[in-house]
Amino acid sequence: MKRNVIATVGMLGIAALALSACAAPAADEGPVTITYTNFISNDGNEDNLQTIVDAFEKENPDITVEVTTLPYGDYGTALQTDLAAGTVSDVFDIEFSNYASYQANGVLAPLTVANPEAYRQSLLEAYSTDGTSYALPSSFSDVVLYYNADLFDAAGVDYPTNDWTWADEKAAAEKLTNQAAGVWGDHQPISFYEYYKALAQNGGQFLNADKTAVAFNTPEGLAAAEWLVNKSGTVMPTIEQGQGTPDFDTNLFKDGKLAMLHTGIWVFGAVADVPFNWNIAVEPGNTVQASAVFSNAIGVSATSEHIAAATKWAEFLTSSDTMVQTRLDAGWELPPISDEAQLASYLDKGAPANRKAVFDSLDGIALPPVVAAGQAEMQDIMGQELVEAQAGRKTVQEALNSAEERINAVIGG
Amino acid sequence: MTLSTARPGLADSSTPPKVTYRVRRGKGRYTLTVLAFLLPSAIPLTLFVLGPMVAAAWISLQKWNLLAPMSFVGFDNYAKLLTDTTTRDVFLHTVYYIAGYLPLVYIGGLALALALNAALKGRAFLRGIYFLPVVTSWIVVALVWRWLLNPSNGIVNSTLAVFGIDGPGWWTDPVWAMPSIIIASAWKDLGFVMVILLAGLQAINPDMYEAAKIDGAGWWRRLVSVTLPLLSPSTFFVFVISLINGFQVFDQVYAMTGGGPNGASEVVVQQIYDLTFRYGAAGEASALSWILFIVILAITLIQVRGQKRWVNYE
Amino acid sequence: MNSRMTGRALAGWILLHVVIVAGAIAMFFPFLWTVITSISPGVGLTVTPALIPENPSLDAYARLFAERPFGRVILNSFGLALVTTVVQLITSSTAAYAFSRLPFRGRGIVFAVYLATMMIPLQVLIVPLFVELKTFGLLNTYLGALLPTFASAFGIFLVRQAINQVPRDLDEAATLDGASHFRIFFSVIIPNIRPALATLTIFAFMGSWNSFLWPLVVLRKPELQTLPIALAGLQGQYTTEWDIIMAGSVVSILPMLALYIFAQKYVIQGVASSGIK
Repeated sequence: MKRNVIATVGMLGIAALALSACAAPAADEGPVTITYTNFISNDGNEDNLQTIVDAFEKENPDITVEVTTLPYGDYGTALQTDLAAGTVSDVFDIEFSNYASYQANGVLAPLTVANPEAYRQSLLEAYSTDGTSYALPSSFSDVVLYYNADLFDAAGVDYPTNDWTWADEKAAAEKLTNQAAGVWGDHQPISFYEYYKALAQNGGQFLNADKTAVAFNTPEGLAAAEWLVNKSGTVMPTIEQGQGTPDFDTNLFKDGKLAMLHTGIWVFGAVADVPFNWNIAVEPGNTVQASAVFSNAIGVSATSEHIAAATKWAEFLTSSDTMVQTRLDAGWELPPISDEAQLASYLDKGAPANRKAVFDSLDGIALPPVVAAGQAEMQDIMGQELVEAQAGRKTVQEALNSAEERINAVIGG
Repeated sequence: MTLSTARPGLADSSTPPKVTYRVRRGKGRYTLTVLAFLLPSAIPLTLFVLGPMVAAAWISLQKWNLLAPMSFVGFDNYAKLLTDTTTRDVFLHTVYYIAGYLPLVYIGGLALALALNAALKGRAFLRGIYFLPVVTSWIVVALVWRWLLNPSNGIVNSTLAVFGIDGPGWWTDPVWAMPSIIIASAWKDLGFVMVILLAGLQAINPDMYEAAKIDGAGWWRRLVSVTLPLLSPSTFFVFVISLINGFQVFDQVYAMTGGGPNGASEVVVQQIYDLTFRYGAAGEASALSWILFIVILAITLIQVRGQKRWVNYE
Repeated sequence: MNSRMTGRALAGWILLHVVIVAGAIAMFFPFLWTVITSISPGVGLTVTPALIPENPSLDAYARLFAERPFGRVILNSFGLALVTTVVQLITSSTAAYAFSRLPFRGRGIVFAVYLATMMIPLQVLIVPLFVELKTFGLLNTYLGALLPTFASAFGIFLVRQAINQVPRDLDEAATLDGASHFRIFFSVIIPNIRPALATLTIFAFMGSWNSFLWPLVVLRKPELQTLPIALAGLQGQYTTEWDIIMAGSVVSILPMLALYIFAQKYVIQGVASSGIK
């Protein structure tokens, strides 16, 4: 028995390799059933996904899609167990931060995309390597600057515009902060995701060209880190005051105690009913405008026996009109399509008024830096070191030095 | 496995039987009896725990990210872990946790069991209340404790401030992160220890108390010379289990501090989880698990050998 | 209260009650918080909870059962926990009997190996176990979820400690009457370890009821899902609705609490039946 397990474990790797080597899709004759494991529909969009599945099956009567939905938080554990055991679904969700690693390890089948023009090119390219698509973007969200217009009026400060820079934001934040009244001017998480973006906004790079070492320990990188860290305790609450705990920033904003908030467009729903006027603007850059984009994508397993059918489904799920309509009607993140006319209805779906900023932000996209091995560790280290600086246990420069040394040890091989 | 050192302690841990069971029954029949009692547990444990443990030992000799095929690297994973300061740190944090948690939870649980074993009005109800934290999820418990221990406006620091004490930064401070986890864990597990010790207290013959009372022993004297010795099998159980579980502490750390700030409260199993599912180093994770296994085993065997000196059966 | 109580004893009695009740309030508080949050729509958790919710509503509970097959999910969890508990009671008490009453060569080593099964974190066993169950064709089956829980070293150790405390004179008397081991096990040992069995019932059930990682990977089909996984599914990629999470939390706590109160009676009854006050 024991030997069986060991042998099986050992064999699996070999089997996976053998299978990925002969990735030629079997001819799809007769009805096939493909499996799709997802987290994107979890927590409220299960029925919306089913609508898309039904439309696909109607259009492709030979293909049946079997859906499994898992909680987002534990999806990675389950998916990796499947990949290790060779039980992965034909089609599955991935996040951008995992893409490089999955692609490099041969997990993803190269895709022949029937209609690449349908996609927003920057997103499609994010999931391709050496000109070949290995996954298709399924949705995106970006990060914008939320503001409480009532607080701006009360303080006599002009509303943020798409042309704002860090200096404008800083000046406004200082005027809006009134610690005695418990009102804060600004909130931006001090994290890996904010830092790589601030770095881009300041004209810096996180990684060097061949992704073997970090490139942020420069004057631009230092200024970007200081931009974030120095907010804490001046215009933004400190960790001791609760900054960094889940939902702290949205709650502060909803309570009318926060003038500006850097967060994703997924918070629209949560702040929709607040008793004050609010709006959004493109996030201010320093030397460059750069907005963070979070996207999910769909991959086809390299070991799938129905790659052609699976690819068909992946494409339908990410670019069909049914998908666009379903997502827009349900407010289920934004479809990754290129045709902005189709997205027009999104602009008048209620607060905030300036929904156009969501698309304006896409003029300058900053995608997170990704490496094939050590992604999660790199993100963890960067976040830890920034918090060290925020808590005052290190200077910003010391934190960057330490982050550089630790991350290079991980990604340098 | 090299368990030969385990022999004397475990085999003789209970009082030798006064009856020789084998007398008139055939040896074969006795063997069958033993098997009949043991196999129902031995089969699932062998198949579903020992088997995967052996597989994990094999994986510990591989370089494997779960995605690509594994490759044999011998003892490299062990060598890397044993020279890595992170390994040392996570073990130190784990031992720190146990050293703080165990005395707190045992003394608290014992006091609770004694109090709720006494003739107290509504004790069944109170036992239910004290058990509530045991069944409450760590997500909720951590949120509550982070709020109580909030450095700037939490109840604990506000109370300390009344006495002119400047409270610490608790979970935001690397020095106080682990004490925060220890306090919350002991609080949550009090009910667990209470239940075990309550069951243990039921096994004590009240005649023993009566005899001690007649001898004029006071409350404290009865506790020390009657209750504690007779409760020792349950205490031994609590110690062994708490140590085994303590070395595998994870949920509370994850929920309270996420291992932070800057890894100050990171523990062994968290590292094992990260290595397996986040850092793409399943081989290293398996090696770390086996190192952890050997440490726990060694300590458990020491406990088992030492029990003769203080654990009282019958 | 006893009228013969001395002043000092009275002071002690009062102090004990004050401490116990204060402690109970501290213990009860998080649960109260959970309940209050569950009936306060749209409330964030980092906000200090108002003891009286502004707009109390059972909406979260309604949505919990409307949006997800929670009835089915609870039934799944209950069924798995019930089977696990019954099987563990059997495997634990038989093994414990062997370790306490049936001497054989190498018994110490076997017991050490049993204990050792508790010493490796589950996180590292998940992948090999998953591969093994796959070869047995038991993925996505209740049996696959159950098999690894059938024996527990924790339970065996717990019951062994209890059997070790049963006076051997009782076995001896039964042996002289010609009773077999099975007879002694059923009629002498079992009735005398009821508090331990009741305790094990609580922990075995709770272990299964709360188990997360293994059911997560082995039971993927929605109709097989268990409660902790369904509760985790209430948390989104970017946002969390705390009222629903807390409603789910209450739904998962209550059955455990009921079982505990029920089983505790047996802990006490076990004593009453053996003629001790």
